[in-house]
Amino acid sequence: MKSITLGQFYPSDSILHRLDPRMKVILAVLYIVATFLCKNVLSFALLLLSAIVLILISKIPMKLVLGGIKAILFIMAFTALINVFFTKGETPIVEWRFIHIYAEGLWQALFMIVRITVLIVGTSMLLTYTTTPIMLTDALEQLLAPLRVLHIPVHEFAMMMTIALRFIPTLVEETNKIMSAQKARGADFTSGSLISRAKALIPILIPLFVSAFRRADELATAMECRCYHGGAGRTRMTILHYSPKDFVALAVIVVFGAGIIVLNRLGIGYTM
Amino acid sequence: MSKITLENISYVYSPGTPFEMHALEGINLNIRENAITGLIGHTGSGKSTLVQLLNGLTRPTSGRVLLDGKDIWQEPKKIKQVRFRVGLVMQYPEYQLFEETVRADIAFGPKNMGLSAQEIAERVSEAALLTGLDESLLDHSPFDLSGGQKRRVAIAGVIAMRPEVLVLDEPAAGLDPRGRDTILNMLRDYQQKTGATVMIVSHSMEDMARFCDDIIVLAHGKLVMQGRGHEVFARSRELSDVGLNIPEISRLCLMLRERGIPMDDGIFTVEQAEQCLLRLLESREQRTEGYV
Amino acid sequence: MSQSWIRTENLTYSYQDDSTGEDQPVLHGIDLSIDRGEYIAIIGHNGSGKSTLAKLLNLVLEPTGGAIYVDGKNVSSPDMTDEDVFALRQKVGMVFQNPDNQLVATVVEEDVAFGPENLGVPSAEIRQRVDDALAMVGMTEYAKHEPHRLSGGQKQRVAIAGIIAMMPECMIFDESTAMLDPLGRREVLDTMEMLHREKNITIITITHHMDEAARADRIIVLDDGRILRDGTPEEIFSDPEPLIEAGLDVPQSASLIHRLRKQGIELPGKIGTPDDCLETICAVFEQ
Repeated sequence: MKSITLGQFYPSDSILHRLDPRMKVILAVLYIVATFLCKNVLSFALLLLSAIVLILISKIPMKLVLGGIKAILFIMAFTALINVFFTKGETPIVEWRFIHIYAEGLWQALFMIVRITVLIVGTSMLLTYTTTPIMLTDALEQLLAPLRVLHIPVHEFAMMMTIALRFIPTLVEETNKIMSAQKARGADFTSGSLISRAKALIPILIPLFVSAFRRADELATAMECRCYHGGAGRTRMTILHYSPKDFVALAVIVVFGAGIIVLNRLGIGYTM
Repeated sequence: MSKITLENISYVYSPGTPFEMHALEGINLNIRENAITGLIGHTGSGKSTLVQLLNGLTRPTSGRVLLDGKDIWQEPKKIKQVRFRVGLVMQYPEYQLFEETVRADIAFGPKNMGLSAQEIAERVSEAALLTGLDESLLDHSPFDLSGGQKRRVAIAGVIAMRPEVLVLDEPAAGLDPRGRDTILNMLRDYQQKTGATVMIVSHSMEDMARFCDDIIVLAHGKLVMQGRGHEVFARSRELSDVGLNIPEISRLCLMLRERGIPMDDGIFTVEQAEQCLLRLLESREQRTEGYV
Repeated sequence: MSQSWIRTENLTYSYQDDSTGEDQPVLHGIDLSIDRGEYIAIIGHNGSGKSTLAKLLNLVLEPTGGAIYVDGKNVSSPDMTDEDVFALRQKVGMVFQNPDNQLVATVVEEDVAFGPENLGVPSAEIRQRVDDALAMVGMTEYAKHEPHRLSGGQKQRVAIAGIIAMMPECMIFDESTAMLDPLGRREVLDTMEMLHREKNITIITITHHMDEAARADRIIVLDDGRILRDGTPEEIFSDPEPLIEAGLDVPQSASLIHRLRKQGIELPGKIGTPDDCLETICAVFEQ
């Protein structure tokens, strides 16, 4: 029985876990910007170092993080190859028939790999690994609250997200049950052509949809009974408070961004 | 004759991980042919795991499942054939209906068996008859039927495979008393008409006492008791010691004994209790008359 | 004017059949009075209208005819504002059948907070109410757990806590034990009876488990949208025939006494619960 944990929250008591989730969203955005500011080998080295530091202070096992990166290995390899073969530069390394590889291409590929890796590691350290999905939803709801002025239904989106997170495990369990039941009637999901396999999913999908609609209907009634009427006039049990450590974290990332800009100007080696 | 035999069956979830859990341990039991067997145990006793072992939906970690004396896992590739021979009706089976018509839904199993159109039609009619579904319902959408009817369509879908063994997990769950009696009576008739072996999993001791010939009791993944209904219910006190419910009437009789009224052991139906009390009251009257 | 806390007058409900377009009556003129602090079981076969009646009492459904008064206020009147409806639902809470389909949040305590949050209760007070409600149903240690990992009985207790946190005066249990195993049923029943006993909350439980109904102070039997019987478990179970005709049955102990009485044995005692029956039989032997 495999349980699907969206965002793979990893419980621990690190400083990253204890930061205000709203601040973590802001930090993540700034961090993403920083990765795109990097231009030369020095700033990329600092970027890579920052990612390693993030992993270390998050107290999340390195093995788990590397496992996460493995999933995007293909995308990284693909990006690297494109960069190696299609970047035109001035210092050719290989020139054979239609294949031209330049030193600039290799640097470009290396930088792209570092950037993608750090993007994934950084955002997952700041957000998904250290923040429960529900905290993340709350944070987004509060950060985006000003958009309500523009009639964007921020609360409703957040509520939808919450309900989705609540019901994913329930529906996964239900899918397993329906599959067993249809298997007991001789259904086969593992053999045959692609089309026959797709057809074999109908006996699972239809009951699943019917049940999801029934659940949605019952849930709506239950929510109405508990006086739910949208975000207006609604209070919250947990109110998020920024603490000094949140502002320290903000300061750190601003300094980090400044550091990257400075290193970019040193102009050593290949510059993107 | 034993239709299904479990030999030293164990089942472990997620072996070798911190989540390792022994769902079943060293189970040896026989399911008697041509009878209704009741399986009792509370949630987490391993009932659901055991049920899924019987038709090969899960494979035991160790031990053998014998159907007519033959190991069902001897040829793992032919496990689908076992599923046609041991029909399994899961809990709340009405939530698995998916076809446009009742007829098509009942035909799903037979179709997967690769039978001819004529054979399928025959079996659908037969299954509808056995489950008490009117022919006129067969062209309706299963989603338009009442709860009790949907449940019968789902059971018909399994019966249409003509399984030698029919296993039902909580067939009466959530039904009102009339719906419950309809389903259970239907299953008893089915057993008598077809001579199939039937196994029912239920929480309701009252229902088990009324409808089952044999009873198997599981607790914490181990076999606690197996035998004829009257043999098992004769041990009501032991059952309630392992935390299982016993029929309300059995509980009443146990309490009467505690109060010094010499009720018979192992009463599990209202009729038995009535006979016993009438007898006791009569002998008591004779005694008092004697004193006068 | 009676002083009943909940009163219905000639309450009817019908819905339009999708395929025929005809009105399908579900309830035909229900007159019912429920006092504050009562413990009532409503029984009836599937389709007898018992769930519909429950859903009308806190306006999940709107009556098609007749009137409902709660705490002296006509809640079925067209003048009811949204605020009035919320006020009613705060007073009359409802726990449903499927434990999964009434929990909204991914953390137990967040779910319990959902109702008070909707009512606009200040944060600190919500915290207090949530802690109290979880303690009351014995789920404090699960406050930070995810609902989907709980047992059915535990989920229902969380759902109950979610209603308690709204501080209701009456709670309706709409077949809340139907999907539970015996252990889960006992947990929910015990919680329900504790709320009645210790918090003086009016309990209305809808069930087709006769042994559960036997524990109430009063049983209302619905049959095809009408009140068939209304009385103590004593009165209801002494006369099993109408129940059986209505597709219901009688608890085994009560049925035993009834059979003995039919055989001409004089058993003058009570027969509501199995314990009553025990005393009734013992009394004859101890004469």
